Amino acid sequence: MNIPKLVVKNITRRKGRFVFTLLGITIGIASFVTLLSLGGGLKKEIKKQAAELGANLVVTPKGWCAYEQVSVLTGEQLPEAIPLNVVGKIAAIKGLTAVPYLTERTAYRNNPISVIGILPEEMKRFKNWEMERGKYFATQDEKALVIGSGIAGQFELKPGDELTVRGERLPIRGILKETGGKDDIALYIPLSVAQKLYEVGSNVSFIAIKVDDIAKIDSYIMQIQEAANVAVVSDKQLLKSVLSIVGTVSMTLQLIAAVAILAAAFGIINTMMTAISERKREIGILQAIGAPRGTIFFIFFLESGCYGLLGGVFGVVGGMLFSLFASPYISQNEFTSLIKGGDLAGAMDARIILGSILFSVAVALVSGLYPAWMAARMTPVEAISYE
Amino acid sequence: MNDVIIRTENLIKTYSTGKVKTEALRGVDLEIPRGSFSAIVGPSGHGKSTLMHLIGGLDRPTEGGVFIDGEDISRLSNGRLAALRARKIGFVFQFFNLLQSLTAGENVETAMMFAGEPEKGQSDKARELLALVGLSEKLKSKPSELSGGQQQRVAIARALANDPEILMMDEPTGNLDSASEAEVLDTIFRLHREGKTVVIVTHNDEIAKRAEMVIKIKDGKLADRGSLT
Repeated sequence: MNIPKLVVKNITRRKGRFVFTLLGITIGIASFVTLLSLGGGLKKEIKKQAAELGANLVVTPKGWCAYEQVSVLTGEQLPEAIPLNVVGKIAAIKGLTAVPYLTERTAYRNNPISVIGILPEEMKRFKNWEMERGKYFATQDEKALVIGSGIAGQFELKPGDELTVRGERLPIRGILKETGGKDDIALYIPLSVAQKLYEVGSNVSFIAIKVDDIAKIDSYIMQIQEAANVAVVSDKQLLKSVLSIVGTVSMTLQLIAAVAILAAAFGIINTMMTAISERKREIGILQAIGAPRGTIFFIFFLESGCYGLLGGVFGVVGGMLFSLFASPYISQNEFTSLIKGGDLAGAMDARIILGSILFSVAVALVSGLYPAWMAARMTPVEAISYE
Repeated sequence: MNDVIIRTENLIKTYSTGKVKTEALRGVDLEIPRGSFSAIVGPSGHGKSTLMHLIGGLDRPTEGGVFIDGEDISRLSNGRLAALRARKIGFVFQFFNLLQSLTAGENVETAMMFAGEPEKGQSDKARELLALVGLSEKLKSKPSELSGGQQQRVAIARALANDPEILMMDEPTGNLDSASEAEVLDTIFRLHREGKTVVIVTHNDEIAKRAEMVIKIKDGKLADRGSLT
């Protein structure tokens, strides 16, 4: 016999109570892990999208809120508030390459899809796009579509098929090679065609800019602001601002999960107190056969810790499974539309797994302190004489 | 002169419940020789079990001292008192008090664990002890699968796990039928013949008659101490 074996025998003697107490901490940790991995996945994806945007600076209308900044990265529909001539003014500044985006939405088979109006040649150079199938736009104002590989795969589209955008049937000219980002899940049409279809005059949503020398970025920002009445944000600022919003949302969700864990902690305290009350005579017997108070404390402390360890392990597994299976449904939400199942699995790194299990054990051990102390402070006679 | 293993000096135990004070023992002086068989007898509620708890180190006196092998155990720290119980004393109680989640063998092994017996040798020794009380085939049985007599014999095997010099028993046959009582008494007397000091709290006249020394407690005092036969 040894103490761990005795502990396992003790906690599994009331199987129903053991399972329900374990479920409490498991659910708490699972929800914590799910939200942590969703937040992690979102941050990871946003960083990826920022890198993929390929811009050092983003020009937006003045007064854009944080949600609109997020949308630059997620490809959501944005207000069209920058006149196209601003693009020309900015492009005229030496050392800058500027490409405009007109981000809109359409629906295909009841699914919302991003439609992006672009200057075909400039964008192809800016993004180094390559074609998987079909051809790229032949002219700057061709009434046709080039689509991302994700959309083509999802709806089994091929060059020559037609899609209706704002009531206009447009042929698919070609399919882009997979980029691994949001470029894969959008439809592209020449800017002039998009402006007519969406009736936005000569306006665009935002402008992405590459600079020739990153050391001069502050000077370029000033030159742009002198040339036009616009807001300019660097990719790093944009990323910081977006991550800060995501971080706040994640933190709020994790706090909600922490409440679930707190409730589970009280479940453990309750179970341990009940166990001590039921096993009062046994505590006396253990003392009579030579168990010191420290050992009695340790036995109950360890029992409590076991709930944390098992709940942590099951919670992490449950959280991972839930993240994988639930993410397709969660990704219907615009804010989390970037997240795909595979990316979430990537967000479950060893740090989250180990950290969650350790957190669970720590919560359970803290929950076990008072019950274990109660058990250890009993005198042998008090415990043996308990009826 | 006999070799004294347990001695008490003016042993007083008072229980306080709120403002009410109950004197359970009122000055008991006692000497129990090594290797003797002593029966503590007397009416219920007059202090027999309290005396056993005090001389067994399960409780502390309000006044006076308990000496085992000349050491005043009432002044020991909780840790040293637990070590003394683990090393020197084996307890058997009226209601068996086995750990219900463990098998008979594991109950015996648990006592060995606290006595510092390495885990490796526990299983063999537990089997030997259960064989000693005639229960070798019940090694894997849970207490709920055993009769009262069998449970009490497992409790005796557990009490022997640390190879104690002193066996203290509180009404060990009080909850048994006649057949089981005979089995348990046979085991107890055999252990005494093998050299254990046995102190037994009992209402059983048969045990009292066969004891070498009868300690009669009445109203918390020593009413009569039979001489060693």
